[in-house]
Amino acid sequence: MFTHTPLRLTTLAIIAAGSLAYAFAAGFYGLEILAEIAILAILVIALDLVAGFGGMVSLCHGALLGVGAYAFTVAANEAGLTALPAMILAVALTSALAFPIGAVCARSTGIYFIMATLAFGQMAYSFVFQSPLFGGDDGLSGAPRPDLSVVGIDLTDSRAFAVYAILLVALAYLVAAATLRSGLGRSLVGLHHNEKRLRALGLTVWRAKATAFAISGALAGLAGCLAAQHTQFISPGLLSWTVSGEALVVVILGGLGTLVGPLLGAILFVVLKHEISAITPYWHAIVGLILIAVVMSRAPGVFGFIEARWTARTRKPQGKEATADA
Amino acid sequence: MLETRNLTKSFGPIQVTRGVSLKLEKGERRVILGPNGAGKTTLFNQLVGEITPNSGTIHLDGADVTGLRVAERARRGLSRSYQKNTLFDGLTIRENLGLAAAVALGKGQGLWSDPLQSVEVRETVREVAAQVDLAPYLDARVDAVSYGIRRQLEVGIALATGPKVILMDEPTSGVGPEMSKGFHRLLKALPRDLTILIIEHDMDLAFDVADTITVLNYGEVVFDGLPEAARGSQLLKDIYLGAWEDA
Repeated sequence: MFTHTPLRLTTLAIIAAGSLAYAFAAGFYGLEILAEIAILAILVIALDLVAGFGGMVSLCHGALLGVGAYAFTVAANEAGLTALPAMILAVALTSALAFPIGAVCARSTGIYFIMATLAFGQMAYSFVFQSPLFGGDDGLSGAPRPDLSVVGIDLTDSRAFAVYAILLVALAYLVAAATLRSGLGRSLVGLHHNEKRLRALGLTVWRAKATAFAISGALAGLAGCLAAQHTQFISPGLLSWTVSGEALVVVILGGLGTLVGPLLGAILFVVLKHEISAITPYWHAIVGLILIAVVMSRAPGVFGFIEARWTARTRKPQGKEATADA
Repeated sequence: MLETRNLTKSFGPIQVTRGVSLKLEKGERRVILGPNGAGKTTLFNQLVGEITPNSGTIHLDGADVTGLRVAERARRGLSRSYQKNTLFDGLTIRENLGLAAAVALGKGQGLWSDPLQSVEVRETVREVAAQVDLAPYLDARVDAVSYGIRRQLEVGIALATGPKVILMDEPTSGVGPEMSKGFHRLLKALPRDLTILIIEHDMDLAFDVADTITVLNYGEVVFDGLPEAARGSQLLKDIYLGAWEDA
């Protein structure tokens, strides 16, 4: 079950403090990287919620991010909504779309679940790619950033936007953590371990999975809104399955089913991408090698590795022995 | 409380249960005996809805539940333990029991609070842990405890749902004599208004706890009566010694 161990809380505090400090110290290029990390971090939090804790490995989270980005941009540009209502609408819409996807895919498991989510993702990608409403291959531009001038904040400023992006990551994390500590989250973890038994105990499995998928979809939609606001231009590439695949790589790299690990994974991935791509255009190959090393080491990601070592050092005797010692 | 009428199930040409009719009154403890392959577990699977019968009906507390799904039957008070441990392996014993109690209390899909911290769930966990003698192991992970403790937990999870009827599929399967005695005590200590149907090969336990005994052979009910009658039954001895097949 998900808990905030001292190690996790410490790691979170370090990430939060480090990100904020960097946001106030970095130049334009660093702030752009920070915003990129934040977008990926929200997406991987969304993915870890269902894949890491619920065992629902999704290849449509890129598409959900894209849906969020397009819904936000269309709501703002075509329907004339201001940024905040457009964001709320986009997140709600993505969540509403994710629920039936989760409900349908909940009937399958393992590789079939992955393929079903991939099919949904590709359907969304094709639809957006073909549709004139969404600008087809050309995409859409002009996604607005929220107007916070009433509180003296100008989000067109890169530094302010980076801080705003970090706050959205914190919001996404809090939503995911609260979900995992709720009845639904407890059931989600139970489903990962033994779906048959949970059904026999009286849980409506498809509904639990679909609800978790809807919450995850909402977070992916939020990542999409942020992505649209960041570049103020969106294209069908956002919905590509490669975005989902990349998010999965980041979750595995950071530590599947830890919620904190994927945050580290997002930082590592984006930094590695930019550092290595400055040296060679074959940066994907290097990241691939690192991922293979992580998988082959059987460590549950970078954070999972640290956590396992930490737990081994601090573990107390369990069961009767523990009771006797107490 | 639980009744089946002419329950029949075939897998291809093989009839696994043949017109099984049982009637359990509230609080009755019935043991199902029968050799391997007699259709006992298949009968359980039909009762809880994991397998759909070809014909016949199942009634729980007066209502026909034959068409209901597994989860819906569970919500109506039908709980089971499995012959092969079916636990939440990566979790602690406390979390296993808590999850079962939370789902049974309708807190399995809530969004606003942690059911494992609720008073009702914690109280259920404490009570069930005491019933199945797991209190000292509550914070141990399931994959770190012995097989015998896992068998106790298997029954504990079924009890944590607060069932009206509990089906136990060979609860003492694979455990030693001492732990088997523990199961005798556990079964005898359960509330008298709980209806219990047990598949069991341990004859001592069967005759010790049973109000009534049903014997299945080749999917058919061949004996249905009191333990005293079963104890002296030549038919039962023949089935277990194989003479039935020769007849």
